[in-house]
Amino acid sequence: MVGKNCFAIASDRRLGVQLQTIATDFQRVFKIHDKLYIGLSGLGTDAQTLYQRLVFRHKLYQLREERDMKPETFASLVSAILYEKRFGPYFCQPVIAGLGEDNEPFICTMDCIGAKELAKDFVVSGTASESLYGACESMYKPNMEPEELFETVSQALMSSVDRDCLSGWGGYVLIV
Amino acid sequence: MARFDPYENNGGTCVAVAGADYCVVAADTRLSVGYSILSRDHSKIAQLADKCVLASSGFQGDIKALQKNLAAKELIYEHNHNKKMSCPAMAQLLSNTLYYKRFFPYYAFNVLGGLDSEGKGCVFTYDAVGSYERTGYSAQGTGSTLMMPVLDNQLKSPSPLLLPARVSSSSLEFELFNPLMVVFLTPLSESEAVDLVKDVFASATERDIYTGDRLEIVVINSSGTQREYIELRKD
Repeated sequence: MVGKNCFAIASDRRLGVQLQTIATDFQRVFKIHDKLYIGLSGLGTDAQTLYQRLVFRHKLYQLREERDMKPETFASLVSAILYEKRFGPYFCQPVIAGLGEDNEPFICTMDCIGAKELAKDFVVSGTASESLYGACESMYKPNMEPEELFETVSQALMSSVDRDCLSGWGGYVLIV
Repeated sequence: MARFDPYENNGGTCVAVAGADYCVVAADTRLSVGYSILSRDHSKIAQLADKCVLASSGFQGDIKALQKNLAAKELIYEHNHNKKMSCPAMAQLLSNTLYYKRFFPYYAFNVLGGLDSEGKGCVFTYDAVGSYERTGYSAQGTGSTLMMPVLDNQLKSPSPLLLPARVSSSSLEFELFNPLMVVFLTPLSESEAVDLVKDVFASATERDIYTGDRLEIVVINSSGTQREYIELRKD
């Protein structure tokens, strides 16, 4: 979710296989660099593999260009990597959030084969995505300060995952 | 080979919220088939008895049949018992009527709202085959997954899993703070509940393609039934 010169990225902590809970501390939001984060919902192994591949590509970029990747560029990279596997995809829906030039917040989401969707307010993905759409749509206001943004994102996340049996076991919210 | 499919989803969302002495039942008025809109002005709300209102989303063909069935049974009840059916009685009747067709169900997702025999608001929520529960609030239909988390966030206390609701009226305090009595009421005033319903519909209309056009809000309280219409986004 976008705020005033800041963004929030959040996820739940459950890792499950249908009705069984495997972990209650699973990390789904990963850092690419200080001002760029990616959240990956869907298949756990694909989320981890995709993260490892993206970090690899970003480190190479840093070596060649001697700077960090812009969020827009990174989003295009993720989209290309996902589309490479068009007929045998990674079962992940990424949510990308970063601060671009002048600390302008950037967010986007994609489907599992890389169709990018930019948004100005918020993006959601995962099994509770419909609930998240409803909660975020009701609770979002433009230009929220970091403290208010944190409250909003936390409330939206908690209410939505409480209505989804496959999500839950706590939440993780990061404000940048 | 194309087989005849007896069902169709006409979309739409229904909500009901119960209060200390009122009940708000609301539904949008859009009727859709696939990606087309058949009508922007089709009511999903039916008045079954003077303090009992049914809002249904799903397959409107089955819904019309269900409403006709319930109205007929209500009339027979009036003839046999010399009084109109109360909301909890209608709730049980609806459940039985739905389960009667357990192996070829009514494709109807219902929310029944009204006042119980003590004049307190009641809301009953159903699945397609008649499983029901009295709650303080509920949403059913295509936009229900978008609305329920927001209603939970604003109205959490009426859930029977949590502590009893706070209500301003002091006469209800004994009942409410007595842990043996679980009360299904919202701690909001009537106008606050109506505003909340308008807000959740505005949000659901943004993200659900089957919800929109117009919102019909029915408020049942001791003075009777009032109807209000609010315009929603038409895209």
